[in-house]
Amino acid sequence: MQQRLSRRSFLELTGLAGLAAAAAGCSSGPPAGAATWSMWSSSAAEKKVWEDFSTYVEQQLKVRSVPTLTPSGGYPTKLDLQLVSGTAGLVTAINGTLIPTYAARGAHRPLDDLIAADPDFDPDDFYQPSRRISSFNAKTYAIGFDVAPTVMYYNKTLLQQHGIDLPSRTEPMSWATFRELAVELTRPPDQYGFTCAPAIDDLVSWIYCAGGNVMDDQATRSTLGAPEAMEALQFVIDLFVKDKVTPPIKNLVTESSMANFMEGNVAFMQNGPWQVVNARKAEFDWDIIPFPAGAVGSTPRVSGSSFAIPSGVREGADLDLAWKLLKTLTSTGALDIYARAGRNNPARLSAGSAFRPPPDNLGIVQQVLAGKVAGGHAFDVTTNWNQVKQLLGQDLPRTFLGQVTVADAIAGLTPRLDVLMRQHQDNIRQAAARKG
Amino acid sequence: MSVDTLPVPATAPPRPTPEPTPRWRNRESLTAWLFLLPSLIGFLVFTAGPVVAAGVISLLDWNLFSPPTWAGLSNFARLGPDPTFWSALGNTAYFTFLSVPLTILVSLLLALLLNQGLRRVAVFRSLLLLPYATITVAVAFVWIWLYIPHDGLVNAVLGAIGINGPAWLISDTWAMPALVAMSVWKSFGFGMVVFLAGLQAIPQQLYEAARVDGSSAWQSFRNVTVPMLSPALFFVVVTSVIGSFQVFDQALIMTNGGPGTRTTTLVMYIYRTGFENYDQGYAAAQSLVLFAFIVLITATQFVFQKRLVHYDN
Repeated sequence: MQQRLSRRSFLELTGLAGLAAAAAGCSSGPPAGAATWSMWSSSAAEKKVWEDFSTYVEQQLKVRSVPTLTPSGGYPTKLDLQLVSGTAGLVTAINGTLIPTYAARGAHRPLDDLIAADPDFDPDDFYQPSRRISSFNAKTYAIGFDVAPTVMYYNKTLLQQHGIDLPSRTEPMSWATFRELAVELTRPPDQYGFTCAPAIDDLVSWIYCAGGNVMDDQATRSTLGAPEAMEALQFVIDLFVKDKVTPPIKNLVTESSMANFMEGNVAFMQNGPWQVVNARKAEFDWDIIPFPAGAVGSTPRVSGSSFAIPSGVREGADLDLAWKLLKTLTSTGALDIYARAGRNNPARLSAGSAFRPPPDNLGIVQQVLAGKVAGGHAFDVTTNWNQVKQLLGQDLPRTFLGQVTVADAIAGLTPRLDVLMRQHQDNIRQAAARKG
Repeated sequence: MSVDTLPVPATAPPRPTPEPTPRWRNRESLTAWLFLLPSLIGFLVFTAGPVVAAGVISLLDWNLFSPPTWAGLSNFARLGPDPTFWSALGNTAYFTFLSVPLTILVSLLLALLLNQGLRRVAVFRSLLLLPYATITVAVAFVWIWLYIPHDGLVNAVLGAIGINGPAWLISDTWAMPALVAMSVWKSFGFGMVVFLAGLQAIPQQLYEAARVDGSSAWQSFRNVTVPMLSPALFFVVVTSVIGSFQVFDQALIMTNGGPGTRTTTLVMYIYRTGFENYDQGYAAAQSLVLFAFIVLITATQFVFQKRLVHYDN
């Protein structure tokens, strides 16, 4: 028999359905015992790599792998919210520049006890810069999955068209030679000698090569005003403002050295091997060479990314699974998948052979890391690096536009940077006190 | 045996008068509350709750991950010597005082135009409403292209009339006006629709009476249209000012607050303080100051409303 539904019953049913839906939403989540991990992913190709990682994890651990993939731009914010709300995975990917930031705030746990208790885990199979990047206050907070020095990409076709000898594959050219070449190959508005991002991430390589740094060894004060750093800053800014060997900056937000290089009319580009996978789409012949050598040689920025375990992961079965998952995600087998896809140089020496040409000279990445060719400098950051980067991002780009001189910009920045260095020291003290 | 019996009353004692059902418990009120409940819950959870939470957090030192510690009013004391905060506040005020009058002017002109009985007015109205209905992120990227210094459409048009356009988004002087122009284009549709509804509600007899009195078109506009439209005008001004003080996405995407801090707005600075620098207490203090500014300005507008806004009843 068909019954008519009264308005009251309808409202009651609707309310109940809403409550049920809300309860279902609240209770949804990965099944207990699943290997949950988070990672950034901004393209279909990148997603495929992480799906392959996930399959590999399931094969190795015989548990369900549940990766949470987030576009790289929104990853830090999402990770923060997950860490705060206790919904983060057992393992989370983390950019090397943020490891001290998270470690100092107690967001991730140190791994030294787990490493010491596991005879199967060999820390020596990881490149030294990756281990340094993954540490804070003499403790290991993460295990690297990629690490690489900044290199110089060059457009072989363009150099050959102009009858210029190709640069040495192993010997870094001097800054003076680099500048001469960049000037010689510049024919505005059709062709330019060099491109890099007008930001501290790219500037530090020049600063390190000149023997300078953003801050002193103990990170107690800014050293951007020191002669070495000033020389480097002036050199790069002059390439933009005085020599005009770079494509004009159209917009500080969307400016992309990679996009400029891929146009095919720029001779040199400063970037990391993580762009090899994109540069392979170029319609011209190209390769990479060591970064130009400054006063202390070719010691550009070495940076990388790692996996870490949130401090909210409980001791016992969860922590056991988290450590096994972390080991699997950074194992030679997993990093082989990563390197074969051309994403970047793996952090493990034993996975290095999977990161293969093109370009022909890709091998220098590992030679640089091993200290056989040129050199590198681990990216020195602080526990408040976001703030340092923000501050430098406000005023340094104006020097690239010729709106202020390097001296004026640094004079204005130094006192504010010093405040941030003091704040960094406070963070270290608080982190040490918390541990005690 | 005599039995004393109680006298039987001739009529039953009066029943005690039932307590009147409180208004909130009668069926009609309950139904109203039921329908209001979703909005009320939404308001309490997503608006009132966060405001109260911001008040509490502003008194704490909290980096999100470690347990918060009591900070008293120190987060508010930090605002005074923070040049970026004042710069962001100044930029936000500059944006508001430039964008709100321009948006209202453009909205009003277009509403007046559409109210002239044009053919296919519905098509024009829909087309003009499109920018408002489009997401800001998409619009911002299109405007980045329009503002490209050498090849962008804006400078190409200016070049055609002999003007050498600036590098809009990286210029100290022009970055904020460039954001304002984009924002005006993006948001005039809302005001236009409100004004159009207001214009169509003005009784035609008023215009006829004005015409009989010999009013010119300008006098009709000033003495009939403006007073009759003043409630709509007031509504658009209040909502536009509140919206402008909260400007964020277009500045983040088009300039990232630069060059320098020329386009760093207060909401952008609050976001960075809270979620990039992990200084939740200070971000909450800034949010409360912004809230206070908005309340103050809105209250001022309501004070002037009594003198300037004409309500028919």
